[in-house]
Amino acid sequence: MSYVLYRLATAVVVLFGVSLVTFGFVHATPGDPAETILIEQTGQQPSSEAVEEFREAEGMNDPVHHQYVDWVTGAVHGDLGQSYFSDAEVSSLILDDLYNTLELAVASILVALVIAVPTGIASAIHQGQPIDVTSQIGALIGVSMPNFWLGYLLIIVFALNLNMFPVAGSGGLEHLILPAIALGTGMAAIVTRLVRTSMLEVIDQEYIDTARSKGLKERIVVYKHALRNALIPVVTVVGLQLGFVLNGAVVIEIVFQRPGLGNLLVDAIFARNYPVVQGVVLVAAVTFVVSNLLVDLSYRYLDPRIKLGESQQ
Amino acid sequence: MSDPLLSVENLHTQFRTPEGPVNAVNGATFTVEAGEIVGLVGESGSGKSVTARSIMGLESPGEIVEGDIVFDSVDLTEAPEATRRRARGTSMSMVFQDPNTSLNPVFDVGEQIAESLKIHESPDSQSLLDYLHVPLVSDRREWQEHRKRAIELMEQVGIADADDRVGHYPHEFSGGMRQRAMLAIALAAQPELLIADEPTTALDTTTQARILDRIRDLRDAFDTAVLLITHDLGVVAETCDRVVVLYGGEVMESGPVERVLSDPQHPYTQGLLDCLPRRSDRGSPLPAIEGSVLDSGNSTPGCPFASRCEYATEACRVSDPPTIRPERSRRVVCGELDTVRQDAESERNAAQPRVDGGDRSIERASQERHEADVQTSGTIGKDGTGRASGWENPESRSDDTTVESETPLLEIDGVSKTFDVTGSRLERVFGQRQLLGAVDEISFRIDAGETVGLVGESGSGKSTLASVIAGLESPTEGEVRFDGATVGTVEERTPEQLSEFGFVFQNPTESLNPRMTVRETLAEPLRERNWETEQQDRRIAELLELVGLSSKHAARRPHELSGGQLQRVAIARAIALEPSVVILDEPVSALDVSIQAKILNLLLELQERLGLTYLVISHDLEVVHHIADRVLVMYLGKVMERGPANALFESPAHPYTEALFEAIPTLEDDGTAQPLSGAIPSPVDPPDGCVFHTRCPMAEEQCRREEPSFETIAGSHSRCHFAEDVTEEPAEPTIEPDNP
Repeated sequence: MSYVLYRLATAVVVLFGVSLVTFGFVHATPGDPAETILIEQTGQQPSSEAVEEFREAEGMNDPVHHQYVDWVTGAVHGDLGQSYFSDAEVSSLILDDLYNTLELAVASILVALVIAVPTGIASAIHQGQPIDVTSQIGALIGVSMPNFWLGYLLIIVFALNLNMFPVAGSGGLEHLILPAIALGTGMAAIVTRLVRTSMLEVIDQEYIDTARSKGLKERIVVYKHALRNALIPVVTVVGLQLGFVLNGAVVIEIVFQRPGLGNLLVDAIFARNYPVVQGVVLVAAVTFVVSNLLVDLSYRYLDPRIKLGESQQ
Repeated sequence: MSDPLLSVENLHTQFRTPEGPVNAVNGATFTVEAGEIVGLVGESGSGKSVTARSIMGLESPGEIVEGDIVFDSVDLTEAPEATRRRARGTSMSMVFQDPNTSLNPVFDVGEQIAESLKIHESPDSQSLLDYLHVPLVSDRREWQEHRKRAIELMEQVGIADADDRVGHYPHEFSGGMRQRAMLAIALAAQPELLIADEPTTALDTTTQARILDRIRDLRDAFDTAVLLITHDLGVVAETCDRVVVLYGGEVMESGPVERVLSDPQHPYTQGLLDCLPRRSDRGSPLPAIEGSVLDSGNSTPGCPFASRCEYATEACRVSDPPTIRPERSRRVVCGELDTVRQDAESERNAAQPRVDGGDRSIERASQERHEADVQTSGTIGKDGTGRASGWENPESRSDDTTVESETPLLEIDGVSKTFDVTGSRLERVFGQRQLLGAVDEISFRIDAGETVGLVGESGSGKSTLASVIAGLESPTEGEVRFDGATVGTVEERTPEQLSEFGFVFQNPTESLNPRMTVRETLAEPLRERNWETEQQDRRIAELLELVGLSSKHAARRPHELSGGQLQRVAIARAIALEPSVVILDEPVSALDVSIQAKILNLLLELQERLGLTYLVISHDLEVVHHIADRVLVMYLGKVMERGPANALFESPAHPYTEALFEAIPTLEDDGTAQPLSGAIPSPVDPPDGCVFHTRCPMAEEQCRREEPSFETIAGSHSRCHFAEDVTEEPAEPTIEPDNP
């Protein structure tokens, strides 16, 4: 329990750092955001009074540290400010899209695991045999293929030619499958190789012989005794991959024209919609920190030798 | 006569290697009767483990290419995999060597035992989902039943608080407890045959004695047959009914234990018996079997031992030796048995006047023969014997009191070492610290040229003390003085001081960098002292010669060398900078007896030639007895007894020392000695008074309250209130229940 508290405390420190950096970057961007925004809004050079009015209205004339404190205070209360272009709350904009992005991220991780775990195990058990060689080549191709390129490929084949799935947009499961495959394949390739290596190492351990010497069926030896041990390093990597998945989601959402944080962020950056940019980055950071915390806590279940937070001798 | 339970007939198990197929087992033939304990002995590489695995059906990646394994009248070599699996689950079990690696770290011990029980009950209906405890699919009630039975089994193998311990994971158990858990897993199948592959090699002697006890008890209770694989002939003598001696994957000799060990017929069996330190005089070179186990047990005819056998003739090398039955139930596979016997006979006659007690004369005679051989032909002989004669008067050597005036080479003055094992950060912040006292105010001195032995069970603080002396750990209190000057940790020592210490670790495969060649390993300390390349090369050649390796070994990497050769390299590295003190932490406990003998000989020879001072740490009292002048017995970080080796070994003046002796399996033992009960208490919370009182057979009220000071008894110093009683009457060890 004290470990969880400790981890939460460090998470707060990390998020504080993220907020500082995000805020700092936005404010270090050259040019007057107010002027840029007004040009975008109205399409013509604004008068200096209009700029000044806008700055005053948005609180841009306050000292920088006041602005930061205001923003952080708001963020802690769930208020991330308002979009410059509509009256919409940034937090509600994000919430609308967060679901879509998380859906894509989780789906692509599932795709990766469904492909990678059985392939990796089969590869390890049949080391050096055709199934192993095939999966190794497959992994090499998977890891080398850029996800946006695979995305277009999938659209051309399965959406345009075969008409099996919609080309773009969001909605039910049929909208999710192609983006999830496009995003999950690269991760599947990495995880396959990891499962294979990890499994090969575990299969050589003496406790696997112990399990066999009890008269257990080979299937149970592999899927109960070996797999649980082999998954420990895999969980670490999958947890870290979540960051890359969020990253990749930005690209994939554009390829498939899916609403989501990626599209929201890119649009906001082009429009200099700073409250939205800050909000999205902060939410992404929170997601990443929380998922890593969950990964660390899951170790305790997977590997009882790990005593979280207790000093190792 | 009914069929034996297990009959192995002309077994050949083959491994494919890049150099072609190798027969690890090459025609082994032996039987195991129901209720019999059979010892399978031989050096590493003689095919013991592969034989055991072949019986269990775990020989993969090897392959049984010839021969039969008939178990319960079924030939397992021809049976389908399902039959073999069912045999494993229901009628044969195996205990592996290293309990640290043979239990699955992610399942609790109860689960691992329960699984075994469940397989035994229904070996053919194993469903993955059931075994994964998937809710609804899995029969929870049945698993709970098995878990309850698991607790009973844990109690049966001597795990206290089984109710509580059933949910613990392997890493929460001590080594000995893990091996008991492993034993419980094996026994859950109610096997007719239990195969134990070096079950006690990774454990210290007191724990070993108790595990072997359990195995004997279980045989008595359930009439289980046991195939006990070991390289320790003492274990065989104490535990087994019959012994099978394996070499090169073939049986050299087999027969009843007392006959084979008292009257070994095969030259290899004789060699194995001669290497044991306990059979030779202190400090004299041990007879060793020349050469090493062949890498490839190839399938060419001829006796596999011929290349190392002093009796070998041309016939031995080209044709298979005959099997001779010198008496009923004994078999010896040797072509020159008549010569071997004649030789033994003539020596027995020659040796007769000097031998007291007739039945051991042959062993002594053969030992003398070996010694004679070594003296005339070996490189060790002259130095070793010269030294041995000087050792016969232990009184002339250092006794603590006689040399007090001079400055000792090494002085350990009131050294304590505590570790902070406080559990959580919060407790640390609030100052609730838990301290583990690994070493507690130890003082002693080592004079130039002597050997001090440090003995005690695992967890007694021996290795921590050695690390402090070597400067790898800093003492919490006290100091280490070398040549009168205080030396701190490695960082604080001057290059000169650093080069005065050499360190040899237990396991050479782990202490040598696998990526470095022998030359690079040896050059490293030299380079550190800025030796010229030319000087380095000369020194490396010299070092290799000193440790009995040749220049061709210089370019090899650790995986290309055998265990004995690796330890030689480790020793060469330790002496590279001509240190005056070499600290040896369990230098031979990872090695086979025959190699152990050679390494001990080498250490004695080097000491003689280079005037080295040794600090030898070992849990093997025979090894310490063999090479040490003075001995310190440690328990829970404190010295319990110290004194000259002879006095201490002849009449121990502390009950703990005595208990350690009791635990050693010896060839003469019949398994009646009572091993020390209980485990070492936690050093975080050591007992009050005398730290040993919780396990001491002599403990009285006084021991619980007062910590004893050192008493001087017959040249030894003993930290015991009743030291005099210990030496006077050999204490009758009381029988106590296992209570870890």
